[in-house]
Amino acid sequence: MIERSELEDILGPRVDEAPLGIVVGGSLSSGLQIKIDPRFSMEKLAVGRYVVIRGRQTSRRFFGIVTDIALDATNPDLVRRPPDLSEDFVLEVYSSEVAIGTLNVSLMLMLDEEQSEPRPVKTIPSHFSPTYEASAQDVECVFGEEDETHFYVGTPLDMEQVQVNIDLARFVERSSGVFGKSGTGKSFITRTVLTGIIKSGLAATLIFDMHNDYGWAVKDETGREFKGLRQLFPDGRVSVVTLDEDTSRARGSKIDRVLKIGYEQIEPEDVEMLSGLLGLSDVQTGALYYLRRTLGPSWIAKLLEIEKADEELQNLIESGRIVAGTLGAIQRKFEFFHRMGFLVPGRGDDAVEDIFLRLSNGTNVVLEFGNYGNTMAAYILVANYLTRRIHGRYVRQKNLASGGKADEPKPLVIVIEEAHKFLDPKIASHTIFGVIARELRKYNVTLLIVDQRPSGIDDEVMSQIGTRVTCLLDNEADIRAVFSGVSGASTLREVLARLDTRQQALILGHAVPMPVVIRTRDYDQSFYAAIGVTDESNLDDRAKMGIDSLYGE
Amino acid sequence: MEEVHAMIGRVTRCSIRGFVGAVRLPEPDLPSFGAFCKAEAQQGHSQVIGLIYDISIEDDEFARQMATAESLSPEQFSDHQYNRQVPVEFSALAIGYQRDDQFHYNLPPQPPLTLAPIRALTPAERMAFTQRLDFIPLILSAPNLPVDDLLTAALRQAAQDRSGGERRRFLLQAGRECARLLDRDLSRLHVVVRGLAE
Ligand SMILES: Nc1ncnc2c1ncn2[C@@H]1O[C@H](COP(=O)(O)OP(=O)(O)O)[C@@H](O)[C@H]1O
Ligand SMILES: [Mg+2]
Repeated sequence: MIERSELEDILGPRVDEAPLGIVVGGSLSSGLQIKIDPRFSMEKLAVGRYVVIRGRQTSRRFFGIVTDIALDATNPDLVRRPPDLSEDFVLEVYSSEVAIGTLNVSLMLMLDEEQSEPRPVKTIPSHFSPTYEASAQDVECVFGEEDETHFYVGTPLDMEQVQVNIDLARFVERSSGVFGKSGTGKSFITRTVLTGIIKSGLAATLIFDMHNDYGWAVKDETGREFKGLRQLFPDGRVSVVTLDEDTSRARGSKIDRVLKIGYEQIEPEDVEMLSGLLGLSDVQTGALYYLRRTLGPSWIAKLLEIEKADEELQNLIESGRIVAGTLGAIQRKFEFFHRMGFLVPGRGDDAVEDIFLRLSNGTNVVLEFGNYGNTMAAYILVANYLTRRIHGRYVRQKNLASGGKADEPKPLVIVIEEAHKFLDPKIASHTIFGVIARELRKYNVTLLIVDQRPSGIDDEVMSQIGTRVTCLLDNEADIRAVFSGVSGASTLREVLARLDTRQQALILGHAVPMPVVIRTRDYDQSFYAAIGVTDESNLDDRAKMGIDSLYGE
Repeated sequence: MEEVHAMIGRVTRCSIRGFVGAVRLPEPDLPSFGAFCKAEAQQGHSQVIGLIYDISIEDDEFARQMATAESLSPEQFSDHQYNRQVPVEFSALAIGYQRDDQFHYNLPPQPPLTLAPIRALTPAERMAFTQRLDFIPLILSAPNLPVDDLLTAALRQAAQDRSGGERRRFLLQAGRECARLLDRDLSRLHVVVRGLAE
C-alpha cells in the first residue's frame, strides 16, 4: 500500500477516503495523467500497481494500472532554478505546490454501478475525477474467486491477501506464451499453470520437457528439490514418457513408457526442421525427399549403412539424379542419428498411437529428454516428430466428430520450450508448430510456448498468442515482441522492464480480465497441500492405487 | 481599555481600495508596516479590514527651518516631534471586510467615511481573520505597492499569534498559497517564501 508522506503532519491527516490524486489529462490510448496529492509520498509508489478512478460525471469506476511516475513542475523554470537544499522551508513549500508528482495510468476496465462484471474501457473519466489506490476488495472483485476453472497463480504486487485467478478455459482456448529471461521463473510458473490445467481437466497436456522441469523431482540451481507433475498427480493423470531411460531411472523418476523411434518412422519432413542445425543446404534438404522415395522406408538405415545398400546408392549417383558430393554430405550429416540412442533400427513401436490414446482419454504426458535435452537437434526432431503425428490424429478425429462419427477430441495443449527454434519467421509458415499457432483451436490443439527470446518468434504467430505471461525481459526487441498485436499494451512496457528478476510476471490477454503484475505463487509445500498432496507416504499409497507405472515400485 | 489602546488614528481620505489615516503622535509600534487594522464603514454596519503599507510624515515650514538651524536644544527637538502641526499619515490597503461577525475576503461595498476611527485588530481578531488566506490575492494584485514585503510582513505577524506546530502549519499553508499564486515568477516566489521561513 502507498505510504503517506511526512507532509501529512502539516497538511492535516488524510481522511481515509481522500484520493491519491486527481485526473488532470491524458487519453484512452496513451493513458491518463494523474496529479498526485502532495500528502502521498511518490517514492513509495510503484509501476504496476492498480488505481481506481471514480468518474465525476457518472458513478462509473475505472480500473487502471500505474505505468509511469514522473516529476513535474507548475513552472518549467524550476528545473533550472531549484531551491537550495539548505532551505528546508522553501523545499517543503515547493514540494507541495510548485513541484508536483504525476502518474501515468493505463485504463483497463470499468465498472458501472448496477453491474457486477467489469467491462473493457471505452471511455475515460472526466477531468479532476478523484483517483484512489485500489483496495484489496476492488482487485478481488476483478479477479474473482478460485473455482474449477479459475486457478490461483499469484498475488498482485503489494496485495498478498488477494489472489489472481486465471481463467483456465480461456487460457487453453488459444495458444499462450510464457516469456522471460533465463532464470526468471518461466519453468516454475509454467508448471504452476500446468498444475491448474491438469487439476481442472479442461485439456490434456503434452509437455516436451527439455530440462527435466516438469515430470519428476525438479532440482533448482542450488540442488533444492521440487515435486514434478507426476508427483502432484500420482493417480495416473500424468504419464512420464522418457527418451533417456538411464538418466530418468538414475534420477528416480517413475516412468510410464520409454519412447523409441524407428528409423523407418522418420520422414523427410521430420528431418527438414533440422536442416539449420545439421547444416543441410537447400539442395541437400531437397534431396531428402528424393532419397526417401527411391530408397523406401529404410532410407535412413541405408544412408547410415546400417542396412546394406552400396549398390542402390551407387545407382542413384550413376542415374545422375543426385551428385556424389550431395549424397556424401547428407550421409556425413546423418551421422548425428547414431548418437541419438532413442532412434532404433526398424519400424519402431506404437509409441505415437499410445501417446495419442493417453492424451485423448485426458492423461497428461511429460516427455522427458534426459540428457538429450542438451542436444537442440534431438529436442527439435522429437518434438516435431510427435507433434506432427499427434496433430494429424487430432485433425482426423475432429473431422470424424464433425461428421458425427466420433467424439470431439479432448482439447490438447502442447508445451514447448525454446519455442523460437520452432517458430522462427523463416520456418514458422511451414512447420507444424506454426500451423497449430495459426489455425487457432480449429482442431482442439493449442500451444503453450515457453521462451526467453520472443523476438525470435514469427510476428504472425506472436499475434495469435492469447495469453502472455511475461517475466522480466530487458532486451528492447523482446519487449516489443511480447506486446505485438495487443492494442494499447505498449504503455505497459515500463512495467515489464521493471519486474523483479525472479518470481514476478506480467500477465495479459485472454485469460485475465485485465493485465496484472503478480508475484508468482510459491511452489512449495503449501502449494502441494493446496493441490491435495500432503506427504510422501500418502503419495506412495495413491501411486499404488493409480495405473501401473512401468518402473514404479 | 483595549479598544482605546487599539485606536491608531482617524480616516482622512479613502476609496474602495483602501484608506489613509492620520495620527498626531505615533505609538512606538503603531501604526507599523504590515499591521492589520480596521475602520468603520456603512454607518457602523461593516468594518473595512486594512493592511498598513505606508507611513509618511510630510515636512512643514517649521521643520525645514529647524533642520537647517545650527543647533537644537533638546526642548526644541522634542517639542517639534511631539507637538506637530502636520500629522503622521498612514495608508492601508483594503483586504476584506467584516459584516455581521462574518469576514469577507473581497473589496468592501463602501469605503469608511472620513474621521472614522481606525483601530488595530486585536490578536484574536487577527487570528480569526487569517483563518482563511483568501486575502492574499488582494495584496498581490495591488498596483504600485511593495506587495511582496507587505505580504511577508502581514503573514509573519499573523504567524506570531500562533504557537509551535500551529504556527508552522500556518506558515506552510501560507507558503503554499503564495506558491499557487506566484508560481509564474520563481524569483519573486523564492523571496516571498524565504521571507516566511522561521
Ligand atoms: N514460484 C516459485 N516458487 C519457488 N521458487 C521459484 C519460483 N519461481 C522461481 N523460483 C526460483 O527461481 C529459479 C529459476 O526459475 P526457473 O523457472 O527455473 O527459471 P527459467 O525457467 O525462467 O530459467 C528456480 O530454480 C527457483 O529456485
Ligand atoms: Mg526453464
